[in-house]
Amino acid sequence: MSLLVLDGVTKAFGGLVAVDGLSLDVRPGEIFALIGPNGAGKSTTFNLISGLLGPDRGRIVLDGADITEIKPASRAHLGIGRTFQLMQPFHDMTVVENVMTGELFGHTVPKSLAEARRDAEAICHMVGLDQLVNRDVTGLGVANLKRLEIARALATHPRLLLLDEVMAGLTPTEARQAVAVIRQVRETEVTVLLIDHVMSSVRDLADRVAVLNFGKKIAEGSFQTVAADPDVIEAYLGTEEGDTHQH
Amino acid sequence: MNGRQAVQVLALAVVLVAAVAFPFWANRTQPYYLQIAINIISFAILALSWDMLARTGQLSLAHAAFYGLGAYTSALVTTRMGLPIFLGMLLGSLVAVVVAAGLGMLTLRLRGIYFAIGTLAFSETLRVITNQLRFTGGATGLVVPPLLGGQRVPQYLFILAVLLLAVVVSWMVNRSRWHFAFTAIRTNEAVAGAMGVDVVRFKVLAFMISAFFAGITGAYYAHVFLFISPIEVYSLAVSVGALVAPIFGGLYTTAGPILGAVVLRVGEEILRSTVQRGYPIIYGLILALVILYMPRGLIGVWASVKSGLATGRKETREPAGP
Repeated sequence: MSLLVLDGVTKAFGGLVAVDGLSLDVRPGEIFALIGPNGAGKSTTFNLISGLLGPDRGRIVLDGADITEIKPASRAHLGIGRTFQLMQPFHDMTVVENVMTGELFGHTVPKSLAEARRDAEAICHMVGLDQLVNRDVTGLGVANLKRLEIARALATHPRLLLLDEVMAGLTPTEARQAVAVIRQVRETEVTVLLIDHVMSSVRDLADRVAVLNFGKKIAEGSFQTVAADPDVIEAYLGTEEGDTHQH
Repeated sequence: MNGRQAVQVLALAVVLVAAVAFPFWANRTQPYYLQIAINIISFAILALSWDMLARTGQLSLAHAAFYGLGAYTSALVTTRMGLPIFLGMLLGSLVAVVVAAGLGMLTLRLRGIYFAIGTLAFSETLRVITNQLRFTGGATGLVVPPLLGGQRVPQYLFILAVLLLAVVVSWMVNRSRWHFAFTAIRTNEAVAGAMGVDVVRFKVLAFMISAFFAGITGAYYAHVFLFISPIEVYSLAVSVGALVAPIFGGLYTTAGPILGAVVLRVGEEILRSTVQRGYPIIYGLILALVILYMPRGLIGVWASVKSGLATGRKETREPAGP
């Protein structure tokens, strides 16, 4: 049975159809990558899955339950965790307090502050933030902010983790570290749905890939299959038109 | 308990004993001081109430509304229905809480300046309505029966107890998971939701807690000063006062709003008695300078002095990393 199903999901902003009749099927335990040119509707898809946006049409189903109408917090409780492309740490909090917020509110089992701190510190350690737990988030570099995004999402103990461009802006070494962390996450039986532009990382990580262009799915399959697909090549090379559709 | 905590507890105990002993001394020698102290404590409760709502990022200009609802509800049920004053004050606070829940639901989607204007409009609407209605006494106002037989010392102790309750609530909020929810919502509502924080629930709860304390302070004002009118209790000055003290003292803390309220009111009294003419200009100038040059308020200055002393001893900040 599928963990996440998108069934004909459509979302328009005014006249712009950002996501157009998209259907996806993410299986438990896999790493699934969503790729496509800028403005293809990838981040909108994430916002629809995590509940920050509601679709105009279509259904979103998590583990058999229709979650199309429920609010973001309830989706987090059901096991959807996510990062944000533009890193959005909670200011006025330290690194570990950011992660604790996920521990305290991300799932339905209540935790004491002490338990939440202990578990948050373990996650900071796992993603390589252990030296920075008590630092203010202000002034953290890109790589550490990306790590914090992942740590905070992991702290909600997701069954499905949505990673929105966690490799962007990283050096090759940092990207390799991030790939290692994502592999480690999958070991813990978390299903990963990721958006990325760093093709080497997608190739190394993804079991399956879907390619979006103008909100529609134009290809799906293994990385090798979609990379050889003529439609995909055209979508990536026809950049000028794609760029005008950014939102 | 370590040394620092012991000093804090001792300092709090001294302040508390002094605050409780103060009216017995003032009542014999300086009754006017007792009046000022009641004003300061009421102002401090209002400031702390405003701050607790601001912790969720909701910068309200509706505190005059809750203050006025508390005052008018209690005044009306005690004069028109003959209810006991304590019951009237409780009803006044509860009406403020219920109305705050409604207002909180209505303003959920408003941000920043739009939220402030929305809440201001609500407050002004209540003032105009109260001004027009006959049963509220209209623009003429209402004469209100005195709390605790009009005796100043018990009245002072009552409002001191309300302040203590507000301090305990604020302190508990800042030391529980609520603190994480409030701060997350204030920083980024969308991300807070994605982390599982029930944004609507916490925003409305903050409104209700805040309104309870604003409402009871308004009701208290009515029964201590024995006369209320719309222009006075629904005044913008109440709402602005409620937000100036926390900004001056230090936002999102328990001590900051109280410190701000005390320093502002005491400073105002000193200015009033030393500079006979034009003291509001100097008062305004000091306020502007503090807001411009001390963005974290008096508490922030204290924190930097402390961390300055600490860094003198050892380097506490770690390098930012790659």
